[in-house]
Amino acid sequence: MTSLSRREFMKKSIAATTAATVGLPVTKAALAQARNAEAGWKWDKSVCRFCGTGCGEQVATFEGKIVAIKGDPDAPVNRGLNCIKGYFNGRILYGEDRLTQPLMRMKNGKFDKTGDFVPVTWEQAFDEITAQFKRVYKEKGPAAVAMLTSGQSLVQEGYAAAKLMKGGFRSNNIDPNARLCMASAVVGFYQTFGIDEPANCYDDFELADITVLWGNNMAEAHPILWSRATDRRLAAKDSRIINITTYRNMCSDIADLEIIFKPNTDLAILNYIAREMVQRNAVNMDFVNKHCVFATGPVDIGYGMRPTDKFAFPAEKDTQAQQLKHTIDKYEAIAQRRKEGTVAETAKAAPDAHWQISYDEFKRGLEPYTLDFVAELAKGDPDESLNAFKNKLKQLADYYISGRQKNILSLWCMGVNQHVRGVWVNEQIYMLHLLLGKHGTPGNGAFSLTGQPSACGTAREVGTFSHRLPADMLVANGAHRARTEKLWKLPAKTLNPKVGTALMVAMRGLEDGSVNFVWTQTVNLFQSVPNTNHWLKAARDPKNFIVVADSYPTLSGKVADVILPAAMINEKWGGYGNAERRMQVWRQRVNAPGQARADVWMMLEFSKRFTLKEVWGELPLPGLKVDGFPENKMPSVLEEAKKMGYNEDMTLYEVLFAHADNKKFAWPDPVAKGEDNTVVKLLGDGWFVEKALFEEYRQFTVGHQHDLASFDEYYADNVRGLRWPIVNGKETKWRFSEGNDPYVKPGEGYNFYGPLLKATGTGDLDGVKDATPKPLPGRAKIFFRPYAAYPEQLSKEYDLQLCTGRILEHWHTGSMTRRVPELHRAAPSAVLYMHEADAQARGLKHQDLTWVETRRGKIKMILDTRGRNKVAKGTIFGAFFDEGVQVNQLTLDATDPLSLEPDYKKSAAKVYKA
Amino acid sequence: MEQTNRRQFLIRTAQMTGAAACIGIVWTVLIQNQAQVAAHALRPPGALSESDFMAQCLKCGQCVNACPYDTLKLSTIADVAPIGTPYFIAREIPCEMCADVPCVPVCPSGALDRNFTDITKARMGLAVIDEEMCLSWRGLRCEVCYRVCPVRDKAISLTIVQRETSRHAVFEPVIHSEHCTGCGKCEKACPTEEAAVRVLWPQFVQGKLGEHYSPTQGDNFKVQDIGKNTNIAKELKPGSKEQAAPGMNYFNQSGGREGEIPGGKP
Amino acid sequence: MNEVKNGATMTTESAPQKPVSRPPIRHFQIPLTLGGKLYVWRFLIARRLVQIGVLILFIGTAHWGWTLFNQPVLSGDLSSSRFLGVIPLSDPFAVLQIIASRHMPIFDAFLGAAIVFLFYLLLGGRVFCSWLCPVNMVTDLANWLREKVGVRSLFIVPAKTRYWGLLLALILSFILGVAAFEWISPIAVMHRELIFGMGIGLIAVLGIFIFDLLIMAHGWCGHLCPLGAFWSIVGRVGQVRVAFDDAACSRCGDCVKVCPEPLVLNFKEAARHGMIRFGECTNCGKCVSICPEQCLSFNLRACIRKGAEPSQTTHNSSS
Repeated sequence: MTSLSRREFMKKSIAATTAATVGLPVTKAALAQARNAEAGWKWDKSVCRFCGTGCGEQVATFEGKIVAIKGDPDAPVNRGLNCIKGYFNGRILYGEDRLTQPLMRMKNGKFDKTGDFVPVTWEQAFDEITAQFKRVYKEKGPAAVAMLTSGQSLVQEGYAAAKLMKGGFRSNNIDPNARLCMASAVVGFYQTFGIDEPANCYDDFELADITVLWGNNMAEAHPILWSRATDRRLAAKDSRIINITTYRNMCSDIADLEIIFKPNTDLAILNYIAREMVQRNAVNMDFVNKHCVFATGPVDIGYGMRPTDKFAFPAEKDTQAQQLKHTIDKYEAIAQRRKEGTVAETAKAAPDAHWQISYDEFKRGLEPYTLDFVAELAKGDPDESLNAFKNKLKQLADYYISGRQKNILSLWCMGVNQHVRGVWVNEQIYMLHLLLGKHGTPGNGAFSLTGQPSACGTAREVGTFSHRLPADMLVANGAHRARTEKLWKLPAKTLNPKVGTALMVAMRGLEDGSVNFVWTQTVNLFQSVPNTNHWLKAARDPKNFIVVADSYPTLSGKVADVILPAAMINEKWGGYGNAERRMQVWRQRVNAPGQARADVWMMLEFSKRFTLKEVWGELPLPGLKVDGFPENKMPSVLEEAKKMGYNEDMTLYEVLFAHADNKKFAWPDPVAKGEDNTVVKLLGDGWFVEKALFEEYRQFTVGHQHDLASFDEYYADNVRGLRWPIVNGKETKWRFSEGNDPYVKPGEGYNFYGPLLKATGTGDLDGVKDATPKPLPGRAKIFFRPYAAYPEQLSKEYDLQLCTGRILEHWHTGSMTRRVPELHRAAPSAVLYMHEADAQARGLKHQDLTWVETRRGKIKMILDTRGRNKVAKGTIFGAFFDEGVQVNQLTLDATDPLSLEPDYKKSAAKVYKA
Repeated sequence: MEQTNRRQFLIRTAQMTGAAACIGIVWTVLIQNQAQVAAHALRPPGALSESDFMAQCLKCGQCVNACPYDTLKLSTIADVAPIGTPYFIAREIPCEMCADVPCVPVCPSGALDRNFTDITKARMGLAVIDEEMCLSWRGLRCEVCYRVCPVRDKAISLTIVQRETSRHAVFEPVIHSEHCTGCGKCEKACPTEEAAVRVLWPQFVQGKLGEHYSPTQGDNFKVQDIGKNTNIAKELKPGSKEQAAPGMNYFNQSGGREGEIPGGKP
Repeated sequence: MNEVKNGATMTTESAPQKPVSRPPIRHFQIPLTLGGKLYVWRFLIARRLVQIGVLILFIGTAHWGWTLFNQPVLSGDLSSSRFLGVIPLSDPFAVLQIIASRHMPIFDAFLGAAIVFLFYLLLGGRVFCSWLCPVNMVTDLANWLREKVGVRSLFIVPAKTRYWGLLLALILSFILGVAAFEWISPIAVMHRELIFGMGIGLIAVLGIFIFDLLIMAHGWCGHLCPLGAFWSIVGRVGQVRVAFDDAACSRCGDCVKVCPEPLVLNFKEAARHGMIRFGECTNCGKCVSICPEQCLSFNLRACIRKGAEPSQTTHNSSS
């Protein structure tokens, strides 16, 4: 009987989840006590722990506990408001199963991969981690160890980890989970502007007349920004909101125009709008001629999967084969001006190559994207008529083109970034705004929103990506390495010139044996990376050693070898940088429970266990082939180091962190205002770690278009974060335009000054004709990018399009929000949203227990045909926050080949009764 | 002898009747005490009107067994509902609104109406929002109640208004009784310490317009009923002083004669 | 206790008047072997097995979702239930009260009541009380303890009081518009609490235990219970009866001592009809299993009539 099996499933899943979410006696007791003595509460500014919006908060402490929080009325981002996650910010510290002791797999008093977890001392944990790290490092060199961090790491934590890995271990294998979230945006910024981070800011929400959402469910994913956008819609009668999405979500409730499109066809829609601009003479030729060039790149770039199916499950092989060869379908044939049925081989050349083309070539590229063609290709709701859809597309083009007076703001986030052609779509949205000459001015621009609280401030800016150095510099760039080595006081050639493993590559590395040591911080990768069945198994390979530092038990901890208890926000000093380049900071307000410690302390403590001779001698580095470096190895820099006054027995801690310059920042510091600093106390050598690291990092930014203010300025009572570049004490709201950006000289009007990739060859749509780099100073690139299909098309067997995403109530994998009973109650488990007709066709009904199966695995989910996301026929949606329902066991790990960011939004699935 | 016997018999009968009456009174009090349902103890879908339901329910718990989510409970002594009858508390386990409504067809007595098959027609309760304590009404982006509602956009909708003190819109959840089934999912999910949305018996929260004043009901407008129950006094013979014609007594009380001031003494 | 004694003396007094030759009095003695004991306890064991077994079926279905042929085994409680998802079963007295309360239950309830009614009609009315009713276990325990400790009743009401209760239940149902006894029935409370989760309702059961133990011997089941009264009426025409072989009886009175029902074991009546004809008899089998002369046994009413007729006529002629 179905009701019985359903009942059993419900009972089991409820039992499993409630076990981890029982009450919060600590805060409750503290609260009751403190109510009588509210006068004793100490309020101070802080930041919301969750999304990339970066809401300001006021946090009250009393007798060592957080007793209250409120939205900061003075914070310009949120003006005293919060979403429901922010409302519970204070509670996430006090879950009952908070990790408080290091745990290690042991047997007979020794580490054993097959043993059970037992509590160990920090000393024991570090000893084993160090031994394992050295085992791998000695044998295989810096390419076989990896540090996987987070867009939720604090600025100082990210900086310390990056410096230790890159400057200390000479490994570029550090990558944040921002790779899963913002990497496509980053490459889009690099290729278009030569510099990372948005030109716009949140003030634009109140200035825009037309706000266009490209695959971005802001209503749930950026709740407070959405209330700003909505307020604008209400305040200005003529303003409009347009929601372009693959399924109906809450944003449609207020949208004036809703366009439901088929996955990946955003590429075609954008080209259609550009074509209309050209056709209707709406291109701002003056702007384009002065400030832009046209460009394009190779088309057959694959899907970022492995070029071999050696590790694929049998069912995965047909999808995997798409990586090498792909047959051009009828739409691609038109869109790419090719013959249907052509077998295209994935180009060996770099997928991120690109070259300049003429405006005529650009126009030729757009030519096939007529309304008829795009409408037929892109219509996403089978129940909608083609004519109605055509009208909508026309309306959309009208909005973009409508009059020079209208301010237009395009917004996007995961829908565009988590996309096998995510970089292209980023670039195409810039294309529209550059063609119109409407970018980076008040109310106008293409504004890439960010998912995590410090994806911008930490992951991107301090350089925790495998290809980056602080302040937008690149490991592959000799001048950038030299500058970094100088600031870090490292011998020349200490830094590794070879781009490290991106996060997805590192996970694959665990499986194929190229990576054997992984340390994760502030991230639950084994739940959040796609296609987890592979990595969950690989983590348990006896050759691999996994360290997980986190605050709560997560799935990743289950496959780890050592688990390190981490301190959380407000238990340590730090700062976050949000999507509008606003850096915000807080003080340590309470102590972490038990032996939980800050990640920055872990990094520093770990660095004490390595001497220079262990890491700065000659190291194997297979595949290295860079001018000035020996082949396949990193040269020894010990001699050079000795000349600089180091000796080979000095530890990395002394050389990288506790050096004389940093030690000048002494603790205590007046900025503390009586608050404590556990990291300083534990290290015991008296320097103010967070301030010193921040000031050291700040040197990279000043004068390089990323200027940060000083540590103390951010802590000033009247400051609620500042938007960089901060030049002469003034923050910058809009970049690249005269009068707004201090780096644009008077008379220039615009200056796209970003320094990266600012010289390319030239050619036409089909390839490079002249490879000599032609410089394009101060100019942005307008890319032509064609429509391309995604690798795993629906088939008779796998006939539903599985999309994943997030919901308002939970943050990422729920490791924090699921500890708050109220949030858990509000959304206890992830359900499968499906169209009623699709359910009926499969003999299913609302609340049935179903199997959801893809080529990679199958999971049980409860069906919901009345869900918050109203999917069209043929589409299903499941959120990934629920450990009990791991949607990422199903998702395909294809990535954008340029950004290596996975596409979570398109997996072919089938659903049947469980 | 016969008389005493008869007398004794009468006394005996009176005694027995008296005893039965006493026990009957205690029994009645017990039942009347029991026959109270708390406003938040909701009945299963398809339940008859409460008085009929209380009479007809066999207290067998088959609906409780049929509920796949352990929503329904049988009340015990001194509980929120009369003893042995099924109920649920929204804040504890709300009704999942199963499409096949498994609790109804198993009812052996008809206390749950067998003809009830469309769960969206259920009126187990009605949600009410405490606008002062509701996070969404205060401007926070919560709206959890809205998103968990199985009849979303019908039973509950968001009224979006500008917030006076800042440039953030307020998403105010509003309940519509016409579609609210009273499943209680909103109350269960409400994240405030005490739920700011409660699901209660409709009669505890719903007002009712006078039947004569119903501008929206069109054809049902009952203007003809307004005067239905008025009694017009029978007409009296002119000159008659035996009975009072309407208003006569009032006019004759005082104030008409010379020197008298209407309304009494100056 | 008084009553039992009275009954015993009464019957023994009347016995010598009859010129019937009787076997010498041998009192019942509990056998020493386990097998013998089990044989003596056979009805008690069977009753407990049925009582607890049915309860477990109810609990299993409610809590562990027991199914047979993909259907819930026995869902509900003694007030009303459904066997294997198809066969409805309802307490006829409860249905009667609903009707009295001026409400009309649906056909299922009538069908269920009819099935149950016919079942007990066949098995002899109050067989419900001793073989199914969970309160029986409580009152049996109270009785056993009371005899062991030797508690004397505080007061006694006539055994017929229950019929007043039955009448009152129907009258109150009519007046109040609800099934009056169902709202206070400790039987239903106990059963519900056992099946659907232990709660404060079990206090009512404790109340009965104390009442039977300290206040009135066999107080609840033997004197007050309106449901017992209902089944007593049915029992008058119940088909399974305790047959009585007068000729073999030594009038030792052991049966009267163990009988939980006052006045049911009347030798004169029993001798006349060849069976215990009173509807109040619960067919518990206590007397059957302890009779030293084996002159009591279960049998169908029809068979007893035939067998008993000659002896009945002898008695008639002799008197």
